[in-house]
Amino acid sequence: MSAATSLRPGLRRVEQIMGTAISLDIADDLPAAELTALADEVFGWLRQVDARFSTYRPDSEVCRFERGELLLSEASADLRRVLERCADLWAATDGFFDAYATGGLDPSGYVKGWAAQVASDRLLAAGAANHCLNAGGDVRVRGRSSTGAPWRVGVRHPWDPSATCLVLAGTDLAVATSGVYERGPHIRDPRRGEPARGLRSVTVVGRDLGLADAYATAALAMGVAGIGWLDRLPVYRHAVITDDARCLHSTDLPLVP
Amino acid sequence: MRRALVAITGLAASTTALVVLKAAPGTSQVAQELPAGQAPAAPVPDEPSPDSSAAPTSRAPAATRSPRPERRASSSPTPRPTATGATRTSPTPRTSTAAPRPTVRTVTGPVVSNEFGNVQVQITVSGSRIVDAVAVELPEKTAQSARRSEDVNSRYSGTSGMVVARQGADLDTVSGATATSGSYRQSLQAAIDRARG
Repeated sequence: MSAATSLRPGLRRVEQIMGTAISLDIADDLPAAELTALADEVFGWLRQVDARFSTYRPDSEVCRFERGELLLSEASADLRRVLERCADLWAATDGFFDAYATGGLDPSGYVKGWAAQVASDRLLAAGAANHCLNAGGDVRVRGRSSTGAPWRVGVRHPWDPSATCLVLAGTDLAVATSGVYERGPHIRDPRRGEPARGLRSVTVVGRDLGLADAYATAALAMGVAGIGWLDRLPVYRHAVITDDARCLHSTDLPLVP
Repeated sequence: MRRALVAITGLAASTTALVVLKAAPGTSQVAQELPAGQAPAAPVPDEPSPDSSAAPTSRAPAATRSPRPERRASSSPTPRPTATGATRTSPTPRTSTAAPRPTVRTVTGPVVSNEFGNVQVQITVSGSRIVDAVAVELPEKTAQSARRSEDVNSRYSGTSGMVVARQGADLDTVSGATATSGSYRQSLQAAIDRARG
């Protein structure tokens, strides 16, 4: 399930990994072989992350660690880093980002964004400074699209999958959206153990996609109180749509008029 | 609407992919050579479907939330079986599949709940090949979602100065909650497992 090509320079590819569609758009005018190698590396990394961090694969590192078959000291540097960041996020979000919210260890709320961020960092380091990576709705853009303009990132309308309710543009953005509209109320308020209520979708914009994703998930779990929490969050910007269909966002969100 | 088409095509494609994966190789064409005996498994129009109220409108949310073959067939370019009334009432004889007809059976997956209601998938198995997958139950809240979409539209424009932008061709990508039709897939998977057992 790959390959969507066009005549413009660069490369576009979509693959199904981590139970979702991941699309990569490299806009740099590089030789085809080099572009292919870069894309192979990105998707190879994401597949590797899936194999190691999936809670659906009993042989994944996360599952082995969870069952006690793997000690923290034996875990890979990546897993240790992810666990560390999850612990930091638990503290930073007042416990609302909880990798143990479902009972067992499930760092997925951080892993997808983190993995895409790492892939984007590697692309930049490898010389592809203009790219857009969308991991199941979590987006990392750098540089410009092949049209020469900054990347334009739509935010899905929470009641209409065919529409966007906001459009952001930028040359260095991480955009993560958490919502209850796709998978139902899968985000739980870890304090009450009930599905979160009050917010329909939360979009967080910043530099680090892993953090943006986790912040969006946490704010959604907070419910209406999440709006105030997001407002006090330094550096990261937000757009919130409430259950009663109001849209609130940071005044300095990089919106396209 | 283009976005809806893409979403529907995506759902159709992923279902097809699942079916292809689970069935024997070379099954991608089976949809076009349906044996006539498959017809009873096609969605019956008078079947009590919770979202039937929303069926006449082609509002995008309902369309995307509803993996109903008839709607998908009408709006998507994928070569899915067109289970339209015409096909059912006058099944065209297909000479290619007439000779050795394998046993056709239907297997129903469990009811899987999500925020919007229940989803239940039924598959039709011809021999060892899956020839169709049909949602026999779909969330009733899809109709409500469509109404709320209108609601949010009217609230956005004007008051805050924000307009609900329609998906344009000049967008490079879209950020949204992870798009999976998890319930559909779950029930489909269970139906496949049952068909095997």
